[in-house]
Amino acid sequence: MKIFDPHVHMTSRTTDDYEAMAAAGIVAVLEPAFWLGQPRVTAGSFVDYFNSLVGWERFRASQFGVRHFCAIGLNPKESNNPKLTGEVLGLMPRYLEKDGVVAVGEIGFDDQTDAEEASFRRQVELAREFNLPVLIHTPHRDKKRGTERSIDVVRSVGFPEERVLIDHNNEETLPLVLASRCWAGHTIYPNTKMDEQRMAALVQKYGSDRIIVNSAADWGISDPLKVPKTIAVMRERGISDDTIERIVWHNPVAFFAQSGRLDLAELSERPSVDRSQKFEANSVLRGEQR
Amino acid sequence: MTTFPLFLAAVRARVDEAGARWLDHAVSLAGAGGDILPRAYTAAPKHVGRAPLGLDATERRALAAVAPHLTVDRWTTDDAARCVLLLAAADRLDSDAFVRVAIHCYENGDAREQQSWLRAVSLLSDPDRFMAVAIDACRTNIVPLFESIACENPYPAQHFPERNFNQLVLKALFNSVPLARIVGLDTRRNPELARMAGDYAAERRAAGRSVPADIALATEDGRAAEEITG
Repeated sequence: MKIFDPHVHMTSRTTDDYEAMAAAGIVAVLEPAFWLGQPRVTAGSFVDYFNSLVGWERFRASQFGVRHFCAIGLNPKESNNPKLTGEVLGLMPRYLEKDGVVAVGEIGFDDQTDAEEASFRRQVELAREFNLPVLIHTPHRDKKRGTERSIDVVRSVGFPEERVLIDHNNEETLPLVLASRCWAGHTIYPNTKMDEQRMAALVQKYGSDRIIVNSAADWGISDPLKVPKTIAVMRERGISDDTIERIVWHNPVAFFAQSGRLDLAELSERPSVDRSQKFEANSVLRGEQR
Repeated sequence: MTTFPLFLAAVRARVDEAGARWLDHAVSLAGAGGDILPRAYTAAPKHVGRAPLGLDATERRALAAVAPHLTVDRWTTDDAARCVLLLAAADRLDSDAFVRVAIHCYENGDAREQQSWLRAVSLLSDPDRFMAVAIDACRTNIVPLFESIACENPYPAQHFPERNFNQLVLKALFNSVPLARIVGLDTRRNPELARMAGDYAAERRAAGRSVPADIALATEDGRAAEEITG
């Protein structure tokens, strides 16, 4: 079974992770732009970050047979810095044109401030302008209200709900998202958010329509193999392979294909791994090259 | 009277002669401009150490007289020395220049420098000027840094708007930081915070998880607390 992990921060991960992910059946990943654990204080940091998402990281993934796509956006936490927000939103149109950028994200709410809402709204408008889908992060704190407010923002902009993926759902927020026409992402984490057993129970209760699962692995305690591990638990609980494949492959592919930038034929095969290739004179191979 | 003479004397009494000389010199140059203050701010622990400040009974009484809501039990000598440097600079510089250099010390500080800064922020004159920094500090994932603004610190209860104060309380619950450490929580409880705490308890239960026992401190009265934890 082919797997698409539709939310994973590979810049924070190692080549061992790429190897293990490829071996576990992960064929494609989507890396949304996010915050790096502490606030950036200049817009130039975003230029380099966005360049790495469309450049070096994409190349690095290909060296392990993994197709790498990304979403470009300004996360909610850093949207509270007004000067930074103005400058980063000004950079975004250039990046939203680029190959491999298949969505705007991850955007949404953190503290649910007015500044966050303004940045969120503006980026949904940018997504409409560039005809891209949107990946929405829901907050850790006051999550249910944050999810309702996120759907309200999408509606007030008049953005098509079927082009919106609302992420990090739990038992309380999933019914809200399914009641809209948005797609529902679930982040399987070792300790927080959602675990494999709870996820399988949600699939048994709600089915597979618009349901998506991801690892959101990053620099914190997280596991880039959570999607294959969730597949194993779903199988143990008797969920059919057809249902599982829909959740871990067909749904994310269908969602991001709305960008018009996924080549479905190309996606069905692994990229050929040629480790003699280089990216701007860099190889992932260090000294091992012939 | 400010806390300046008190902390200056407390640090001088706890360091060797070279440390005291360094601090006096750094204080005398606090208004000099350039990177002199930020460098001294960074270098403080090299000269005055990082031992617990451990105020004695007399010093505590003197502090309580000028800063009644501040607790410095977790402060170290370098925290106090950095506080002294900021207070000296505030005294010598005009308002705009002071805000610029103080924010520079914060933004370019490592986690410990930022921690010292946040611990002292309630003592800076006209502390509303630093609200954006204090609120942004709550967004950190570094729990000790979060604690330095959220805990044993009167600033949030005295200055934060309700929404930001409520987010701080929720984040403390989320990170298992005891709510009893939030100064003035009892004076800032509000219906929206009770609603948020109630939703958080419901979300924890739906996920098959325990609800923190001290969540009751975030609600308005004991009855509501029982409903939440029940």
